[in-house]
Amino acid sequence: MKLISLSALFFVIFLGALFIYVAEDIPDFGDPYSAPNGYINLSISLDAAELEDNLNKGVVPEVLTSELKAIGFRDDELPLRVEPIKEGEWEAIIIPDEKEQDFYPKEQKYYFIKKDGAKLDVYRYALIKRYVEEGHYETEVPNMVTYILADYRGYDTLGETTVIFTAGVAVILLLRRREKRPE
Amino acid sequence: MSTEKSEVGEGEERAGDVIVETMSRLMVPFIQLFALYVIIHGAGGPGGGFQGGVIFGASFVLLVIAFGIVNAGDRFPEGANTAFMSLGVYIYAGVGLLCIILSLGAAQFLNYGFIPLTTHFEENRALGMDLVEIGIGITVMAVITSIFFNLAWKREPEEGGGEKE
Repeated sequence: MKLISLSALFFVIFLGALFIYVAEDIPDFGDPYSAPNGYINLSISLDAAELEDNLNKGVVPEVLTSELKAIGFRDDELPLRVEPIKEGEWEAIIIPDEKEQDFYPKEQKYYFIKKDGAKLDVYRYALIKRYVEEGHYETEVPNMVTYILADYRGYDTLGETTVIFTAGVAVILLLRRREKRPE
Repeated sequence: MSTEKSEVGEGEERAGDVIVETMSRLMVPFIQLFALYVIIHGAGGPGGGFQGGVIFGASFVLLVIAFGIVNAGDRFPEGANTAFMSLGVYIYAGVGLLCIILSLGAAQFLNYGFIPLTTHFEENRALGMDLVEIGIGITVMAVITSIFFNLAWKREPEEGGGEKE
């Protein structure tokens, strides 16, 4: 008995330590620059001095393309052109090859380049950016919660509905007793 | 109304309260109308199938609380309710399958833009979402009602002391 309580105490402390370790990475609420909400760092750093003029003109530097290829991005995910957002920040645009799936083959912003001192850091936009910025135009529904729940995450909601249905069936099987049945 | 009261009186010891019964009888249609509004309004503002279904189920729960399980259960078709439970899931999955059928296999499951309700791809998506929300609402309403009815019915022989009929 004492062993059980000791091991339970150990597991509580262990899970608490694990949670604290994981919680280090949870971003502040609503922080648009943290990784899950905005950008994911690809850990590529380029020299700012040579490339900055090219980026401002809209030319994709060769170094960036080869570095992205080395990480493992497909050919249709390589940037086609660069647009400056403001001083020291650019976004690179791709056209994903989705014609086989008959989905949206259109330009979308994919990479985010930020000047940090003498280096350029390359980020990838998080998926949630597209939901937030493009969803209203793609679905004609103004409510963000509804179009994410029922359209982009349609499979997920189908599963949730099935879970509720299963709960109802389980309650019927376990609890439905009628007076017709002899007991 | 008087006949119902006498039925309740002989079955249970529950005293029917005129104020409670009248008020709940007045409130139930408005609660159900509000539930339909919440389901249909899910695309344009706060709301959706889950919330609306729960409100619709709550109106039946109010009926049971006000009129008693026997009286409300006689008027409530339990078999149809069980069919509604699966009908909602069927509507949801059927809308998804309709996308594949109507686009002749080009679109994915649940890609609502390919249901030719209008000529506009994006508006098709919005209308497909509404159909799906109706399916969710039907399932949630039926499940909530069914769970409450079954839980309430189980207690009946223990408290009432024996079978009714």
